Amino acid sequence: MGLLEIDEVSVQFGGLLAVDDASISVPEGCVTGLIGPNGAGKTTLFNVITGLQAPSGGRVRLDGADITRRRPYRRARLGIARTFQRLEAFGSLTARENVLVALEMRRRWAKSRYDSGKIAAELLERVGAAQVADKRVDSLPTGSARLVELARALATDPKVLLLDEPSSGLDEQETDALGVLLHELTADGLAVLLVEHDMPLVMEACTHISVLDFGRIIAEGTPAEIQADPSVQRAYLGTAKSAS
Amino acid sequence: MSQRWSNLLVWAGTIAFIVLVSKAAWAGNPVNGTSLTNLVVLALPVAGIIAMSATGLVVVYTTTGVFNFAQGAIGMFLAYVDWELTVAHGLPQAVALPLVVLVIAPLLGIGLDRAIMRHLQGKQLVVQLMVTVGLLFAFVGLANMIWNQNNAHSMPQLFAGKGFHIGDVLLTWHRFITIMVAVALAIGLRILLVRTRIGIAMRAVVDNRDLAALEGARSSVLSSFAWALGCSVAALAGILIAPETADMSTTTLTFLILTAFAAAVVGRLRSLPLTYLGAIILALATQWMASFLRFSDRWTNVPDALPTIMLFIVLLLLPRAEVQFARIGQIRRVERVSSVRDTAIGLAAFVAFMAILTLFLSSSDPTNTNRLALGMCTALLALSLVPLTGWAGQVSLAPLAFAGIGAVAYTRLGGAHGSVWAVFLAALVTIPVGALFAFPAMRLQGLYLALATLAFAAMVEEVFYTQPFAVGPGERPVARLHLLGIDFSSPKSFLILVTVVFGLCGVGVVALRRSPFGRRLVALRDSEAASVTVGVNILETKLAVFALSAGIAGFAGAFYAMSFGTLNNAQGFQMIAGLPVVLALVIGGVGFVAGALFAGVFGFVTLFVQDNWHISLWIALFYLAPGLAVLGIIQNPSGAVVPIGEGFARLLPWRKDAKQEYEEMTAAAAEPEVGELGLERPFAESDVLLVDRELGISNDVPRPVAAARSS
Amino acid sequence: MTSMQAVPTPDATDDEVPILQLAAVRAGYGRIDVLHGIDLELRAGEVFALLGPNGAGKSTTLAVCSGQITPSTGGMFLCGRDVTGVAPDALARAGVCLIPEGRGIFPNLNVLENLRMATFTGHSFSQVLDLAFAQFPRLGERRKQTAGTLSGGEQQMLSMARALATEPAVLLIDELSMGLAPIIVEELYEHVRRIAASGLSILIVEQFAHEILGLADRAGIMLHGRLLHTGPPASIADELADAYLGAEHETPAAHPSQ
Repeated sequence: MGLLEIDEVSVQFGGLLAVDDASISVPEGCVTGLIGPNGAGKTTLFNVITGLQAPSGGRVRLDGADITRRRPYRRARLGIARTFQRLEAFGSLTARENVLVALEMRRRWAKSRYDSGKIAAELLERVGAAQVADKRVDSLPTGSARLVELARALATDPKVLLLDEPSSGLDEQETDALGVLLHELTADGLAVLLVEHDMPLVMEACTHISVLDFGRIIAEGTPAEIQADPSVQRAYLGTAKSAS
Repeated sequence: MSQRWSNLLVWAGTIAFIVLVSKAAWAGNPVNGTSLTNLVVLALPVAGIIAMSATGLVVVYTTTGVFNFAQGAIGMFLAYVDWELTVAHGLPQAVALPLVVLVIAPLLGIGLDRAIMRHLQGKQLVVQLMVTVGLLFAFVGLANMIWNQNNAHSMPQLFAGKGFHIGDVLLTWHRFITIMVAVALAIGLRILLVRTRIGIAMRAVVDNRDLAALEGARSSVLSSFAWALGCSVAALAGILIAPETADMSTTTLTFLILTAFAAAVVGRLRSLPLTYLGAIILALATQWMASFLRFSDRWTNVPDALPTIMLFIVLLLLPRAEVQFARIGQIRRVERVSSVRDTAIGLAAFVAFMAILTLFLSSSDPTNTNRLALGMCTALLALSLVPLTGWAGQVSLAPLAFAGIGAVAYTRLGGAHGSVWAVFLAALVTIPVGALFAFPAMRLQGLYLALATLAFAAMVEEVFYTQPFAVGPGERPVARLHLLGIDFSSPKSFLILVTVVFGLCGVGVVALRRSPFGRRLVALRDSEAASVTVGVNILETKLAVFALSAGIAGFAGAFYAMSFGTLNNAQGFQMIAGLPVVLALVIGGVGFVAGALFAGVFGFVTLFVQDNWHISLWIALFYLAPGLAVLGIIQNPSGAVVPIGEGFARLLPWRKDAKQEYEEMTAAAAEPEVGELGLERPFAESDVLLVDRELGISNDVPRPVAAARSS
Repeated sequence: MTSMQAVPTPDATDDEVPILQLAAVRAGYGRIDVLHGIDLELRAGEVFALLGPNGAGKSTTLAVCSGQITPSTGGMFLCGRDVTGVAPDALARAGVCLIPEGRGIFPNLNVLENLRMATFTGHSFSQVLDLAFAQFPRLGERRKQTAGTLSGGEQQMLSMARALATEPAVLLIDELSMGLAPIIVEELYEHVRRIAASGLSILIVEQFAHEILGLADRAGIMLHGRLLHTGPPASIADELADAYLGAEHETPAAHPSQ
């Protein structure tokens, strides 16, 4: 039983089934991968989990509690945080202010006392964005802005972290650092669901991978199982009849 | 609340409203076949006019994305052109009307598109809106300048008012033609949109703008065409409605468009058949009111408010907007947040400047002092929009309506003898009214919310001030403050008081921007989706910012009331007078305290010039000045105070960073971007060097540039 | 702009100016950089297949080629002429035609109206109709049907028909197969094969690699916004599975274009 359970979720846009009966279990303390070709429904699934998209069927559970009908901000307060494939940083604020917004919200709802400024600096340091802390985010290169988004997500002190293509825009060094950070975070007990196209990163970081194609989960397993799975190869490469 | 339930609520409320109003105001005329036939016969020409105007709005909006507030003003102006040709110069209408509708109007539309509208793509909504609002004022100003409004103008009906009877109503040929023209327009547009290539392309743009461009459809041609068509339709509507109005009042003709807004919103700003349906319903409702209901006393103005009431109801029935994701590729806003200390120093300096200025103001003639005080009230009011529109991105066109409510509250709650508490009570009273706006703001985004606030402003003007508990028919005296034993009733002391209040509020607003709340507002504007995923409750945040804004506006309203000295009816707080405040703030810079100050100065200068140059040209300035300011917005969409502030900061010895920033910026602006080169202009030798440098091209890499040049 | 009309030369040789060329192009959406320096040549009359996993930048490359995205640095050349930053409508009239990802149709217009949109590039409507219905007779049967109600395959055919009817010099095809059943994809690629045989220069982006390697003259693999390998399809096939499902990072530095 995972900390986050996606249970037979479907999403319908008009006549199109964007997500079709998808079930994923995200246990704490490890990274779960979600891969699949373009348009397979990965981001839609993320929107369902965070409440930005209402599912047409199925349930989302956090820690056993059904949160399918909770408002997005409630889910955030329950411990679901995410980053976005297409950046959704607060562009006209500085990197530090981006993190502060999240920290100050948490201080209100969790009624905890802490020095937001200090924690913001720590978080930016941790994701490797300390040197851009006082720059406006819309003047940053993509990679740094993604790191700011990550720091902002961590600032809500989540139980579950959803990462939507965090490595795109990062250089190889930054991608390696991201891998290390993922290990640290899961070691602290965080549950991570990772959508990513950088296969080396996915294969290295994930303990378990689900493959989404046409909105359906077509395969599940360990990285090695996934790499060897012919249906996954088909999903990515097309019918293999003319293959060598 | 789910969509279904809230819609049910609005419908139930609407029906209850209609029943209650009809019952209360029933005039006692019999409802039978004849009277209902009469109603339809009278309503149809009105429906035709509304439909035409709304069609113009829809065509322009779908094709270019600009909502044209000036549609009515353009119609008014072109109706006056037609008047000039026919009445003043004796041209037969058979020549003048085609000339205006088919030649002058399209040329005007193309000119507007080329000169102004084309530059609006991708700008902030409030900037887009205010440019067309400015245009509205410019056309009213121009018309007032050319056609002196002290002289009566009237346009004869077509066929001299002859007609035929349906039942016992005379349907004049003029009205019959109006109906026919609306029908013909519907058929003509149908043919245009289905049969012709340019029409198909206009529909294609609605489906998928990028793909249409890929097909080779020139968006510039399409937008010029849409503006030409929009202006032609506006001219038709204007010329046909002009004889129906008493003396061709420029403002009446201009604001007839409010009904068309409602009809266009019924069609969701894209469906023409629904727009026509909306026009018919609205016309029937208007005529129902005129035929069967009678309003008097405090409700006298209800018929005038009807278009905006209907607009408001239609807006509330729109489907709820989704959580907004940020749009990538928007222009970066330049927004240097000043420190609280810098602001405090700056505003203290300003107060000192004002205090010194009062020494030079005439004591015997307080006119200029009063104008300055009114200017500072305007600045204070504009300040109310800085958090709401500037930071949270919620466009409100109703600040003056909140000020009006505040003014009334002040007057009724102790302002008559200058009680200090009444100022704060004024703010307290307006806060819940403003907070109510958070609910439509949850459902309506952008343009629709702006229209809702506009409708609200009009409703307040028409039905609120006339209530006996508010102002009623007479006058109410207002006293200026007694504070700490000081009497601020003299013009100079009052000016200093308002300036100090503005200074304190300005510092407060900047402090707020630097607080968690201020950050949260900007975050909400930048990305709603990201805000909710870090736990921001959008409703709570919008409630807070609308309440705050209304509070400041109500506070400002108290000072307006003191500045006026008496309150009578809506005098000074009309919807139309509120638009220039928003406009001036946008010109100054909607996110800045300095922008609000700019709005105040702008208001003062307009008042001053208007009263001091007794030349007909300057009389029009009240309208013309905001209109001319349109050009300023296009030059500098983030606000005039930004370059002013940057220029000023360069002079300050402790702002070395500003100087350096400026030098970097000018250096960067001097070099063209690589992307701007290409076929649009010849490729000069220097460009090649620039490209080489940009690309880091050295000799061992193939040089396509060289190949291009040799061919 | 009319002087730009590029004419495909079927007997192109290697030393001729490529019909379409990207030089050191960096580009992206808003602030998201996707392409990190692309060098690509499309020679007259060839079919070039651009392969690679999601997010590699294939569609962005096509968006640059069709003028929808202006490179932040680098240049684009059409028959040797610099067309960097030229608007998409101007490029379309100059003979560069994109069949976009998903369905490149106007869903609320009917089939005929969709085809009417192809006449902006200077062909008469009857010409466009003749060409379209000759290639895709099935569209002729549904000429009055609203495009949004056509099946996925038919929509894609309409998209192709509209593109071909303009007799472009360069055809850019973006993920023809997206969201379609394999059997329909096969049918669509039959059409592409026929078009290619007529000598049109085609730059085609695909995920379903095996479908396309059979008909491409050359192919390239994109990864992380860089073009890694280019060469004859046979030499590419082996690299593919690695690129898609994970292997070592390739260094983009050394990749001579042949």
